[in-house]
Parts: sequence; C-alpha cells; structure tokens
Amino acid sequence: MPERLIVYMLVVPMAAAIVAMCLHGFRSIQRPVGSAFLVANFLVCARFLYTVCTATDPQGRVLVSQMGSWPAPFGITIVVDPLAALMLTVSSLVCLAVFVYSLTQLDDRFAGGFFHPMFHLLVLGVQWSFVAGDLFNLFVAFEIMLMASYAIFVLGTTRAQMRQAYKYVLLNLIGSTLFVTCCGLVYGQLGTLNMAHITQIVQDGRLPASSIPVITMLLLVFGAKTAIFPLWYWLPDTYHTLPAAIGGLFAGLLTKVGAYVMIRVFVMMFGGSPQVTAVLTPLILISAGVTMFLGVLGAVSMHSVRRILSIHIISQVGYMLMGVGLGMSAVSGLSGGAALASRELAIAGAIFFIVHNMVVKCCLFLCGGLMIEHAGSDDLNKIGGLLRRAPWLATLFLIAALSLAGLPPLSGFFGKWVLIREGFTQQQYWLTGFAIATSLLTLLSMLKIWSYGFWSPPQGQHVTRPHYRVRTVGGIASIALLVVVALSMGFGASSYMKVARLAASTVVYPRLYVDAVLGKAAAPRLAPMRPSHASIDGPETSGHANGLRGETRLAAVDSVETR
Amino acid sequence: MTLLTCIMVGVIFAAATYMMLGRELKGVCMGVFLMGHGANLAIIATSRSPIGREPPVLGLARISELADPLPQALILTAIVIGFAVQAFLLTLLVITWRRSRTLQLAELAVEEGA
Repeated sequence: MPERLIVYMLVVPMAAAIVAMCLHGFRSIQRPVGSAFLVANFLVCARFLYTVCTATDPQGRVLVSQMGSWPAPFGITIVVDPLAALMLTVSSLVCLAVFVYSLTQLDDRFAGGFFHPMFHLLVLGVQWSFVAGDLFNLFVAFEIMLMASYAIFVLGTTRAQMRQAYKYVLLNLIGSTLFVTCCGLVYGQLGTLNMAHITQIVQDGRLPASSIPVITMLLLVFGAKTAIFPLWYWLPDTYHTLPAAIGGLFAGLLTKVGAYVMIRVFVMMFGGSPQVTAVLTPLILISAGVTMFLGVLGAVSMHSVRRILSIHIISQVGYMLMGVGLGMSAVSGLSGGAALASRELAIAGAIFFIVHNMVVKCCLFLCGGLMIEHAGSDDLNKIGGLLRRAPWLATLFLIAALSLAGLPPLSGFFGKWVLIREGFTQQQYWLTGFAIATSLLTLLSMLKIWSYGFWSPPQGQHVTRPHYRVRTVGGIASIALLVVVALSMGFGASSYMKVARLAASTVVYPRLYVDAVLGKAAAPRLAPMRPSHASIDGPETSGHANGLRGETRLAAVDSVETR
Repeated sequence: MTLLTCIMVGVIFAAATYMMLGRELKGVCMGVFLMGHGANLAIIATSRSPIGREPPVLGLARISELADPLPQALILTAIVIGFAVQAFLLTLLVITWRRSRTLQLAELAVEEGA
C-alpha cells in the first residue's frame, strides 16, 4: 500500500463527519452509514499497523506523507510509526464498540441528529493527534477533538451537566491557550515545530538551556489533559454526569491521547537531552506515584459505579506516567546499554498499559451503563442482585474488572508486571511499592462493585418493576467485543508485547523516525550552521537571531527556491 | 518593539488571569478570550520585529527582506480556532442564562443543590 495513503486515517473520519452532518435529519440512515465508516476506519488502521509491524526493511516501519509535497520541516507532515499505528488501531476499535453501544442504548435526548457528526469529528481529532508530525498540528488536532467533546458534553443539557461543562470547557481552553503559547515559544527558540526536526536538534545536543522552562510548561499542558496530580481536579466531577456511552468514549480515548502525547514529546523529542530529563523525571515520577495512589483511594471511598470508574481513570493514568518517567530517567548503577534497554522496556510497558486501559476502561463504563439500564441507578446502596437478572453482563463485567485490577492471565497484569519490574531495575522502590499497593486497592474497589451490584440481595428497578424489560442486545454485543479484545491481550500477551516493544524502540531510538521524516538527503543540508542575517534586524531582536533560527529560515528559502 | 510586545503579553495574561478568578461566568469567559489574544501576541513576538520587512509573499521582495511567514500562519489558524471557541462559549452562556436566569457561579451551585 503506498505510503501517502496514510492520509486516509484523516480522510475517512472527516468524510464520515461531513456525510453525517448532511444527514442530520435522517437518523435511521445516519446509523448504518456511521457504522460503515467506522468499520472502514478500523480496517484502514489495522492494515497500516500490519504494514509497519511486518516491514522487513527497518525504513519501512515509519510511514511518512508530506502534505502538498512540501519537504519537512517546512510543510505539514503526517507520520505513522508503530506507536501511532498501534494507538490508531485500538482507538478505532474502541470507537466502533462505543458507536454500536450508542446505537441501541443512548437516550434519544442525547442521540439527536448532531451527535453523529460530533462523534466522527472526535474520532478525527483523536486520530490526527496520533499521526501529527509537528507541534502546531498537534494543537489543531487537540482543538478539533476538544471542540467535538465540548459539543457532545452539553448534548441533552441537564443542569448538572451544564455546570460541569463550564469546568471542563474552561479548563481545557486555558490548557489550549498555554499550548499555543508553548508552540510560539518553541518556535522562537528552535526555529522549527516539526517533531522530527526538534528531535534531531535535541540529539545533536543543540537544545538551548532556555528551552527547559518551555518544556516544563508543556508538561503542565499535557498533564492537565491527561489528568495527572495535581491537575486532575476537573475529571472526577465531570465524567460521572455523562451518559455511559459518552463517558466510555471519553474515558477510553481522551486521557489516553494525553498519555500518548507525553510519550511522543517527552521521551522521543526531549528524552535525548540529559538537562531536560534531569528536571522532568523527578517531577513525573513523584506525580505518578501520587496520582495512582490518591486516585485509587478516591475510588475506594466512592459509592456509585460511574464515580468509582471515573476516579479510577486517574489512578490508571498514574501507571502510564510511571512508564513515561522510567522511560526518561537517567538510570544510576546501570551501564549505558542496560539503561537504554530498561528505558525501552518501561516505555513498552506503558504502551501496553495504555492500549489495555483504552479497551478495558471503556468496557467497564459501558457495563456501568447497562447496570443503570437494568437497575435504574448506579448508587451501590440502591442496587443489587444483578447476577441473576443479567448473567451475561455479570460475566463480562467480572472479566473486565479483573483485567483492570491486573489478575494474571488477564491483560492488566502484563503491563503492570513490566512496569513494576523496570521500577525495581531502576531502584525506584517507593514508586514501585505504591504501584503494587494501588493494584491491590484497585482489586478491592472492583470487588466492591461486584459484591454490591451483582452479588448482594436483589434490589432496584428490576425488582420493584419486574415487567420493565430493557433492550440490551447491542450493548452486550459491544461489551463482548471489547472483552474479547481484552482477553486476547491477556492470552496473546507476547505478540502484543512484541508490537509494544517495536513501538517503544522507535521512540527510544528516534533515528529511524528522524531519517524517515526529514529524509537522508535533507539532514546534511540542515546540519551546518549557516550565518544568520542578524545585521538587518533591529538591535532589540538581534539576540534572537543567533543560532538555529537563521539557519532554518535560510534552509526554508533554499527549498522554496529549488522548487 | 519586541520588548514592548513582551510587556503587553505579560499585561494581557495578568488581566486575563484576574478576570478568570472572578465569580461571574461572563467575566470568566471574557478572561479566557483575552488570554487567547495574549497567546497570539506572544507568537508574533517570536517572529522578530516585522517593521521594515516586506510581507511574506514571494516575488514581491528580496528574500532576505521578507518577514517570517510561519508565525503569521500560526496566528491565523489560532485566531480561527479562537473564533469557534468563542462562539461556542457564548452560546453556552446564553443557554445557561435562559435556563437559570443567573450567571453567578455561587447561585448556579445553590440551584443545583436544591
């Protein structure tokens, strides 16, 4: 398949959104059309994952498309490497499952004509953030994703939802504004926004020390999106007001996009600079420990299914952050090769964990939705006895819950195992201890839902109104799809881990990515320092002009001239 | 010129932060809009002084005298996105007002509790 076709990953969801928008008056047509687009989207993503993972030539592992044939780093670049391809495949699968669920379970009040276009735009934003090749495109992708999520958030507008919507919208807007400011500052210092080009500058050791505050500010931006300590406060209040399908979509995708971007930016782009990692690694590791432990303590104290699940998102984000931190840290007491191998393994563990969490978390939210359909509430004091009423739901829930808690041989175990082992290798004993304790408390809180919701004496709507039957076929089908994927990640963990290690190696050793994007020919042209044209600037700006900016700018002019 | 722009960015961010700390939703939203303008100004400050440079259109000027086009392209995109966000937030404000007849955060919270 030609490399330039990776743009289909953006074209398919965008086309779906436009078609769904035109069909907003015809809901019965929107549904099959949307499903067809999402299936096509999944197939395209899976096809490219196959391409990048089976390429015999290492150069074939990173697919690049330059929009309008403008050479990087001057044009817009779309890149699919194994990490992006893996994320794309799993996220498109999660989107498909949520869509199937929403077809039958979502209240008409929410699933009005404009739910579908917004859903597809959200998919577009998520997929674009995975393939974006420069920081500013990442910003635009985030904005599309967030804008769609704002719109979905206020669908059906209950009052509680409106009030939480402000919190969500305003905090994300502040985050976006900081992000765009960071883009400007990074451009001001490095003269480029292209991820591969920045990676090259960092690898060559040409990152000015003045960039470190900007990079720390980026941690703030992505940390708020990922909901890490201490920037998580918006998440527990907002997600539980949403209907289950939408909560599942947000839980499965949005925070994980943040975690992906953290790996891409902090490990791949800036991980090669010892100065940056020396500043960021302690911050990330401490935040990881606090995030995972406080998150799970919150979950243990909650008493409603959706609240437990939403606060659990935070706790799981802690593990991803732990992987990012271990993947950046300059390991003491290990030789260079062993340290790199340990970093690579930690990133692989984080990637495996993100993929596992996308599937399982979304699945649990959908299970919570069906529990509400059956029992009329998700307050654990008011429901019970669902095991007899809905044995299939109970079975699927138990598998997903135990996967989340990480019982072997289910999927959560392997990600955590790799992370904890690398934690011991890197002598981060406190953090690793917290990770193990968190795991036990996760099991406790999942068993709380199980014993109160499914095992306790029957109570709730299905007892008081025994003739009230609900339609759950579509819901069960999509949950079953996700559970099957989660089981395959448990029993086929070695093949998933192989893909995750491949993805981690392109991030930890970014040479392949840089060469693929910039091209072997372009690299030497950018390498020598050109004299900057500082003399024609005003005196107040001449300090800027030294170094990288003049060089890049002249190279840009070269390329324009040669065209 | 750049120094002046930088000071302006600082002032705008400070004013925006002050507005966002208020207890009234309209002011909070205006603060967010203002902060967006501050961010745009920060980007233009990274592009060196455009005074005395030609507009970035090829064929009109010598290449060495062109202003840096990239920050201008970035700002254009950021402004368009900002418009969309502002339209959305203002709509949200109107709907909230129609539903609750108040935009005071404290009153909204009380109403939700009742």
